[in-house]
Amino acid sequence: MIDGDRMIRAPFWRDGRTWLGLWLAGTVAGVVVLAWDAWPWLHGSTLETFRYTKLNRWPIEGLWWLLLPLVFWLHSHLTIKDRRWAWTLVLHAGMAVLVAVLFVVVASIRVVLANHLPASFLPVVANELRWTGGWSYTPALIYLLLTFALYTISFYREWRAGQRRMDELVVANAQLETRLVRASLDALKMQLHPHFLFNTLNSITGLIRKERTREAEDVVAGLGELLRRSLDHRQEARETLEEGLVFLRRYFDIECIRFQDRLQVEYDIAPKCLRAQVPSLVLQPLVENAMKHGISQDPAARLLRISAVRDGTRLILTVYNDGPPLPSDDATLANGIGLQNTIARLRMLYGDEARLRLRNHPPRGVRAEIILPFQTNTA
Amino acid sequence: MTTSSRIHWWTSMVMLVAGAALGLACFGRRENLAALARPPADRNVLRIAFTESLVPDPHRWSLPMPTYNHFILSLWEPLVGCDPATGQPRPAAAESWSVSPDGLAVTFKLRPDGRWSNGDPVRAEDFVRAWQRLLRQPMELAQPLYMLKNAEAFNQGLVRDPALVGAHAVDDLTLRIELEQVRTNIVAQLANPLLAPFHATTERVLATQAYIGQPQQLVSNGPFRLVAVGGDGYRLAVNEHFHGRDGVRLDGVAFVRAGSFRIERMLLAAGVVDLVSPLSAFSDSPWPTSRPVSMRSELVLAVSSLNFNLLRGPLNDMRVRQALAMALHRRETIERFGRGRLVPAWSWVPGIPGREGLALMKEDAEQARRLLAAAGYPGGRGFPVLTMALSSMSKDDPFPPAWSEDWYRELGVKTHLCYEPVERQDRRVKQGDYDIVYGTFTATVSDAADLLGVFLWPPEYSYSKWVDTEFARLLAKAEATSGAERLAILDQAERRAMAAMPAVPVTFARRAALMSDELRGWYEDPLGRQSPRGLWLADNPAPDEPMRAQPGL
Repeated sequence: MIDGDRMIRAPFWRDGRTWLGLWLAGTVAGVVVLAWDAWPWLHGSTLETFRYTKLNRWPIEGLWWLLLPLVFWLHSHLTIKDRRWAWTLVLHAGMAVLVAVLFVVVASIRVVLANHLPASFLPVVANELRWTGGWSYTPALIYLLLTFALYTISFYREWRAGQRRMDELVVANAQLETRLVRASLDALKMQLHPHFLFNTLNSITGLIRKERTREAEDVVAGLGELLRRSLDHRQEARETLEEGLVFLRRYFDIECIRFQDRLQVEYDIAPKCLRAQVPSLVLQPLVENAMKHGISQDPAARLLRISAVRDGTRLILTVYNDGPPLPSDDATLANGIGLQNTIARLRMLYGDEARLRLRNHPPRGVRAEIILPFQTNTA
Repeated sequence: MTTSSRIHWWTSMVMLVAGAALGLACFGRRENLAALARPPADRNVLRIAFTESLVPDPHRWSLPMPTYNHFILSLWEPLVGCDPATGQPRPAAAESWSVSPDGLAVTFKLRPDGRWSNGDPVRAEDFVRAWQRLLRQPMELAQPLYMLKNAEAFNQGLVRDPALVGAHAVDDLTLRIELEQVRTNIVAQLANPLLAPFHATTERVLATQAYIGQPQQLVSNGPFRLVAVGGDGYRLAVNEHFHGRDGVRLDGVAFVRAGSFRIERMLLAAGVVDLVSPLSAFSDSPWPTSRPVSMRSELVLAVSSLNFNLLRGPLNDMRVRQALAMALHRRETIERFGRGRLVPAWSWVPGIPGREGLALMKEDAEQARRLLAAAGYPGGRGFPVLTMALSSMSKDDPFPPAWSEDWYRELGVKTHLCYEPVERQDRRVKQGDYDIVYGTFTATVSDAADLLGVFLWPPEYSYSKWVDTEFARLLAKAEATSGAERLAILDQAERRAMAAMPAVPVTFARRAALMSDELRGWYEDPLGRQSPRGLWLADNPAPDEPMRAQPGL
């Protein structure tokens, strides 16, 4: 059996050659036993005649033994699955009749040999056997039953193999889908990282120009650590909210240097939400948006609040900034790469069960909200 | 896994050719085949087919009985033979005999020239020795000797000393037998092959089966001696010491084993055997060769009957029994199931040599209905269901259902055909838990008294439980008389039995033998005791003799 590039050897008991070998060995053994038993008769002993040899007494068993490979061969070469099933049935019926006639002929030969009749009497004896039960449909019935049993076994094996193939396909599909999702996530994440990286590098550049080299060094160090953690998490599609918050704190460490004392970050996280599983770096684009379009745009703006609450089976993550209101919700959503990526990731991971909303928060500020199923590792 | 591979066209062709070949083998030419030429070793050797187990022991019956008789009478010669034409005894190993005035003792004088196959003289003690062995056998074998004084008691272990049995060797050539009671046909009864003599070595040779490897060890006094034993049968050669050697025209006899009754016919057609006796299987197949054969048949001294249990309900009424007897349709039933093999029985004893069969039965359904109505069962109303005890081995016998159907159709009497294993049927019969037993009684001597004697069996052994003192008196009287007077008394006894109707005779059988036209000297014997001694083979069978085989043999 070939599975991909690998060759898998069938177990010996499934190998037809094993059975053929056994059959040949049995045939040789049978011939030896029969010849040994018939030896006195073959050598003209008057006491031991053909009538009392095993050759005469074991005709049924011997004949079935000899016919067995033919039955298996015919079964394997005749299928009733294709369009020629009618022809197959006709051949099997014909074979059944042949087998029955063969038994009559063998019985006739036995009678001829045992009674020292001339060979020309074979048709006479065969005809006479009608009256002594020699003409029996039992061999035909046995042949048909045997064939039926072989087909039943074959169909059962095919059904089992089909079931196994179906299971393997389901698993393979699932694995393929997972790989596709992971590839998509990786691609999306790769879009996040350059975006953040450029902002930070611009900040560092600004600090250097202002000769705030020490702060620039801190930002570079923080960025390095942030990138390291980001790379560590690249293979994971999800993380706990707590892990995500650790990452954000690093991020804010950098942004605080950039914004001096103007940036005030508040966390309103329900403790039971810390274990919740969320898409990795899911808050990052919201926070970056808040910084870029809120805090950065209005010198009076300074507050950025991150909150997490559980609402039944849902987890609600919110990022609020007290910056200027949104110029147009649709445009913001349509143009923001980070938000578009976030929406795509949420749809991929949760389908219709997750959504992202971005709206003004009168009298001041903008509120971004992610609603997704509340899940933990043990759930 | 089943694949979609196709069978090649040549495989279909092979199957077709194989089928045609096998069909030819089965349905090929079956007429005018060439018969085998007689081998030189078989020249003037009569070859007889047999199917059942056959052993050269006179005290081991093998069926059918004629085959056993041919075999045993080839090897052994009893005291007397029986003339098949008259049923009267004639000298064999004994040259003469005399009956004592009181009829209770018979003295036999043996032939002085009687010899065993090894040359030893045949002595009176050889008969005593064999008979004592027979009396140590089961009852069904030993019964023919029960006529001897103390024989039954010895057989049943009530008498230990064999010297008390009524068979004594007075001297080498004088055998005296003493009887329990007078029996007219005592001498004829001694023609039974079962009563052959034994050489001093015979019992040991038979017990050890030494004859298989050394057939010459089986010493016999008949016209032939055993010379070969094989898987295919026995071969006998002429006993050169036989007193009638000059009259034996065959060089030997071969008993050839056949696979079945039907194969016997084929062996004859193929030229492997010369005689099939009896012909147990009839066939509609055409005669396969041009070998000329003939079929001969004889009436068997036996009667098949429906035996009523007179102790059961309405069967105790003679009118009921007569009604049941009259309601049968023997001819139609035989025509349907036993054509050629059976004849209707109108009497208890079939016609035998020296005595014609009587016409004591009649079939009259109207009279049967009147008799049944007179007995209180008009139209069979109120008549209990009759239980017919049958062996499960006779399930294929079409006659019991046929008789049952006659009774139902003509009289409205229903019958339960109770097929059971032999042991259970025996138990049922012994307990008397039956209404009817269907069975066959076979005579061992060509004498009407032998078949009529079944009505003298003690009630515990009798099927009908019929006890009639006048009938017993008549048979006893017949045993003490002879000739025409005896025959008249037996007629009277048979008429009395059939009037009382304890049993209804239904069929007699004809026994057929199929033989090559080369065979000469064959004679009809109602007891099937033809001895090969008197047979011979013609060198050139006459083509114009009316012995050509017919389909249906």
